[in-house]
Amino acid sequence: MKDQMIKNILNSRKNFLPRLSGSLNPDAAEGGCGVIGFISTEKIKGKHVLQASEQMHNRGNGKGGGIAAVGLDAEQLGVSEEILQNDYLLQIAYLDRNVRPTVEKEFVLSKFDVHHQTVLPTIKDYREIKGLEIKPPEVCRYFVRVKPALLKEFGEKFELRCSSERSIEDEFVYQNTYQLNHKFYASLGEKRAFVLSHGRNLLVLKIVGYAEEVVKYYQLENFKAHLWISHQRYPTKGRVWHPGGAHPFIGLNEALIHNGDFANYYAVSEYLKQRGIYPLFLTDTEVAVLLVDLWNRIYGYPLEYIIEALAPTTERDFDLLPPAKQKIYRAIQSSHIHGSPDGPWFFIIGRTLPETKQVQLIGITDTSMLRPQVFALSNWGNDAQHQIGLIGSEKQAIDATLSSLTEDYPDICPVADKYWNARGGSHTDGGSFIYTLDQSKQVLTCADKFGKKVESVSDAKPEVTLFNQVAGTFPARDPVPPWRDGVPTGRGRFPSDGGLKTSATLTNVKTLQTIIQESDYPILSKALDNLVRSAGEDGLQFTETIETLTWLRDRFYPTGGKKRSSILAMIDKYLVNLFQSIPEIKKTNKKLPYLLAMQGDKINKNTSEKETLVIQATGFPPEGDDGVSRIIVEAYKNGWKKFIVFGLTGQRFCGCGLGADSDGVQIDLYGSSGDYTASGLDGAEIYIHNSAQDQIGQILKRGKLVIFGHVGQTFMYGAKGGEVYVLGNAAGRPLINGVGKPRVIINGTCLDYLAESFMAGDPLKGGGFAILNGLRFNDNGILEELETPYPGGNLFSLATGGAIYVRDPDRKVDQTQLHGGQFVPFTNDDWQLIKPYLEENERLFGISIKEHLLKANGQSPPMAGPAGPAKKPEEIYRKIRPALGEVMQTFTEDM
Amino acid sequence: MLPEIKNAPERFKNQLAKYLVLRNPQCINCGTCAVVCPYQVHQRPAGYKRMSQPVHERCIGFRCLKNDFCCVHHCPRQALKLELNPLWETLGDARWPADLLKATWLQAETGEPTSSGLAYNYQTGQSGGGFDRLQFKNTDSSPVKINDNQVDTSLQLNKRPFGPKITIPIPVYGGGMSFGSIGLATMLARAKAAQAWGTFISTGEGGYPEELAPYDNHIITQVATGLFGVSERSLQRVRFMEFKYAQGAKPGLGGHLLGDKNTPSVAKFREAVPGTSLFSPFPFHSVYSVEDHKKHVDWIKAINPNILVSVKVSTPTDIDMVTVGSYYAGAHIVHLDGAYGGTGAAPEIAKKNIAMPIEYAVPKVHRFLCAEGIRDEITLIASGGIRTALDVAKVIALGADGVVIGTAELVALGCVRCGNCESGRGCPRGIATTDPELEKLIDADWGAQRIINMYRAWLKYWLQLLKKLGLTSFKELRGRMDLLEYGTREMEEEEKIQI
Repeated sequence: MKDQMIKNILNSRKNFLPRLSGSLNPDAAEGGCGVIGFISTEKIKGKHVLQASEQMHNRGNGKGGGIAAVGLDAEQLGVSEEILQNDYLLQIAYLDRNVRPTVEKEFVLSKFDVHHQTVLPTIKDYREIKGLEIKPPEVCRYFVRVKPALLKEFGEKFELRCSSERSIEDEFVYQNTYQLNHKFYASLGEKRAFVLSHGRNLLVLKIVGYAEEVVKYYQLENFKAHLWISHQRYPTKGRVWHPGGAHPFIGLNEALIHNGDFANYYAVSEYLKQRGIYPLFLTDTEVAVLLVDLWNRIYGYPLEYIIEALAPTTERDFDLLPPAKQKIYRAIQSSHIHGSPDGPWFFIIGRTLPETKQVQLIGITDTSMLRPQVFALSNWGNDAQHQIGLIGSEKQAIDATLSSLTEDYPDICPVADKYWNARGGSHTDGGSFIYTLDQSKQVLTCADKFGKKVESVSDAKPEVTLFNQVAGTFPARDPVPPWRDGVPTGRGRFPSDGGLKTSATLTNVKTLQTIIQESDYPILSKALDNLVRSAGEDGLQFTETIETLTWLRDRFYPTGGKKRSSILAMIDKYLVNLFQSIPEIKKTNKKLPYLLAMQGDKINKNTSEKETLVIQATGFPPEGDDGVSRIIVEAYKNGWKKFIVFGLTGQRFCGCGLGADSDGVQIDLYGSSGDYTASGLDGAEIYIHNSAQDQIGQILKRGKLVIFGHVGQTFMYGAKGGEVYVLGNAAGRPLINGVGKPRVIINGTCLDYLAESFMAGDPLKGGGFAILNGLRFNDNGILEELETPYPGGNLFSLATGGAIYVRDPDRKVDQTQLHGGQFVPFTNDDWQLIKPYLEENERLFGISIKEHLLKANGQSPPMAGPAGPAKKPEEIYRKIRPALGEVMQTFTEDM
Repeated sequence: MLPEIKNAPERFKNQLAKYLVLRNPQCINCGTCAVVCPYQVHQRPAGYKRMSQPVHERCIGFRCLKNDFCCVHHCPRQALKLELNPLWETLGDARWPADLLKATWLQAETGEPTSSGLAYNYQTGQSGGGFDRLQFKNTDSSPVKINDNQVDTSLQLNKRPFGPKITIPIPVYGGGMSFGSIGLATMLARAKAAQAWGTFISTGEGGYPEELAPYDNHIITQVATGLFGVSERSLQRVRFMEFKYAQGAKPGLGGHLLGDKNTPSVAKFREAVPGTSLFSPFPFHSVYSVEDHKKHVDWIKAINPNILVSVKVSTPTDIDMVTVGSYYAGAHIVHLDGAYGGTGAAPEIAKKNIAMPIEYAVPKVHRFLCAEGIRDEITLIASGGIRTALDVAKVIALGADGVVIGTAELVALGCVRCGNCESGRGCPRGIATTDPELEKLIDADWGAQRIINMYRAWLKYWLQLLKKLGLTSFKELRGRMDLLEYGTREMEEEEKIQI
């Protein structure tokens, strides 16, 4: 029955013609792109797309930008709720205005009952938007239903009777669009009109320009929708005069944006051709959404199977699936592997499920995780009744969206409750997460491919009012900071080496921790305010204040039922206040050994090494000669050695360019630091007081890097040395091609491919190693063991040197994960080698060797009760070394 | 100022000769042959009764049999016999036949174009394709008289409004060969020659020895997929860097240094374990898109804002898109590496079997860039199997701005194309090896002079050709596909236009 239907539908497309050119080559190659998507229980204004899109300019080149809005507001569209839910929202872009009457006559008025029609308002002159070079198309919006007589005829002609009325109508709309696009866009020499979108409760707009210019040009700043996706395109063909190739691309009720590109565009196109489907816009993204539409609407696959068809589960992950799943997945793979996009890609899909009144935001990564991706989830309001889910190609884009939202929702927290990555094609999360908004219940849920729910931090109490009070409206300063009475002032040093050396800082921290645990947000806020105000102009006290706030930002601790994200956002705010109170470098100054520099400042002032240059990164471009990294280098050449950079919004390359032997330089980064931070480091120390992004520590040679959070893709690729501590996880492919003597502790885990082709000598003779602890702090600040220290199927593959020390008391890592590595006995020499690093790790992150690492159950005592028995290092840690003999043999033969 | 030509004879006493003049025991040492031969093949030093061994490499071969003065005819005892040296058939390969090798050796020795009298075919190899089937049309000489000093052979490497302005006097620089794949003396020889010419050589992957520091201004630091030897220092000390995304000889494959060549000194530079095979991945793990590539370029500029950035790629079918992508990423040079190059280290299955031939890729990219209106903003460099002065001119006529030379420089040092670069201790001639004993076979100063001489000879070819075509610069030759034709003329005809 179903089979017959599928045949009939595909048969009904027999009159489809391919592009006349017949070319199956993509029209324009394009690569990675800047993508962001978010979905909320609230209807969010379009202007909140602006910030994140602008911050991702360097992922596009202004030759194509687009947005989709899903889950719309009937009133602002000027239609009834009923029409919004039931009608197709047809948007046609007229590149040539004169063609509109012809198009409308042939493809709109003759086919549909039009219930509402409007031309989208725009700003008067597109040239008012700086950088917009090509006039965006005129867009006409129609709310339509297919004329019943035509629908009946269509259904009968192709024997679609057994299908539901609606699915026949869906197919009609889809085919109508195909023919319109074919006639007015693809087949003629000139491109005159095309359909932007035709789904229900969903609209798409795209231009030749940047994504945020779409919002500005079509005046969507105050346009509300539950779900937004935005895409910056980077097409490489120079002259693009039409926006048809920009993302998002549409199926029926879905819009898809894409970061990456396929290697098998031709094969996928052939797969579609066999099913009578022809791409018209000749980009791989269009092909991707055609696949999704085929599998979803025609084949009727559940989402899980669609994801499996896109990103097949392979290797060890496949073996670890339950047998029943293996059987189904095997069938999917054997049927659709030729349609599976191969190569680096990351999709974000926004779609409506009109029958169940749901709106969905979906992120899917390819099996090899070759594109960056970050997911986040947050809630706000007294009872956490509002939720937002976000997906981006960079964490900084997510953070930018959240801070933009605080304008409309003062109690939304600029730090998300949760950030995480998907593990592509895995048995654990399937490489995909789906946010589903139930419009009738106004509840947002998030689950992975297998339906396993991602819990939000709803039991903790959020901060609701205080984030956005502007400086100056704080309550008057207490005469004496309550916790400072009678405390002797010690001598401190501000690198955040974690060991709180001054007792004043220690006391501060202890007092504030007590307040965090026992008091409410207003009291905490007041305490922090007092702390910042009392820092004053005394250099020592100022340093202690920075150190106190930094410690509270970096560390995990019980939060007394408060949300960690709320506390972090509060601390961030006071840190910014504190830094902004520093006198500007332009003005001559005096006592405080800190000087504030901003965009445009020239750092020609020489300094004694004791002074710290505090750089406000806001407004700096993400790269180039005026970037943050260059100002640091410039100052370094003039003798500066201590740097604090705050307010980062993804600026790249901090710490690059210092050159060889930069010993003594110390850089502390606050905010959202960007890609390639600390790459090439040769002597200096860099502390990232937040999660870090992609390509951190490339070719790192010497020096120290501490990351108080997670780190992104290809961390420390080609590293030669250095001492590196990561509090959380590393994403895909960390430490690949490491040589020399890098010494790295990752306290969490990695997605996959850790230390592939590692070549770093013998650790016991001065070579390099990585320690993988497999731990995490939970939402309550309690350290716990992960399910497995390493979930991936490739650990230390093809390594010829170095070692991995994995904390694995239950011996969960097995030989099938090693391709060229072997377990060797962990000796006392090994313990003596790694112990000093673990001790430093303890000072930095509070992960105790005695209390946590060497207990069989790595949970910290306060919440989990007595931890397991103390064990010997060799019972806890395992050592993996290259199994050189056979591997080299086989490899040499292969070549 | 051109670098000086100094005679730099081969290292080995007995030179390879194309023809052998064999003397049998019938010889009565009458000395007639020494008298008749104008090429001094036969000699009897004063005071000696017996004839010396014939100096085979001076003989012009079978066509001399037509000459009245031919020694074979004059010998009263018919004791002389002329033969093709059986080595000639085993030496070299179709792309680098023995004639081409020998001609290049002679150029490296003398700094002069190979004398046509010696009958070495310097026009083409025997591959039957590629540059061997392309030649300049046999046009009449230019009516306008052009002097040597009116011809501009220089190349401005940076055509973009940013970055350092660097001009090299000849449109050629040296390709990437790593320490490990070649030895220190070979590296030094190339660097010294590059300095003398005011051009560059690439270090290849793996960093480079401190001995090269005096030549930093003429060194290209390569950033390849293994990131071996790349540091801020190695990027800040030079004026020019290149990303090696792929190699034409083995696109889709990374670098590969076999365990045998990973000697302790190589392992030290790469900071790896001696004796293990070293692999560079394919592609860069950090670059999976053009936007990643832009970030990659931005990173290098963050380390050294005044560096010239070249992007070396192989020639896939969408090479035009790759080039435009690199342009948008802010690169100064796009370097297309075709499939004809590569030493013995590239797997046979990969060589010539994967990427697009360079003579197809260059025009494709050239035309595309012209259509996009950005041709004059990016420098297009071609490499991969460009062996001779004429090949250089051909590929420029196809649309490149300049070329990168690899193997020809090694041939100048005496490479015989035996293809044993990767076996055992490495090159039997001491060129492509870091074996401490074999390496002693090469003297860096001698090697530098050989490379200098070769390019001096090439320059003469170029001047001759440009003048003949009525052009005053390589810039004018660029993209003049109309001056080329496809096919092979008879050997004699080629000899006619030979200088």
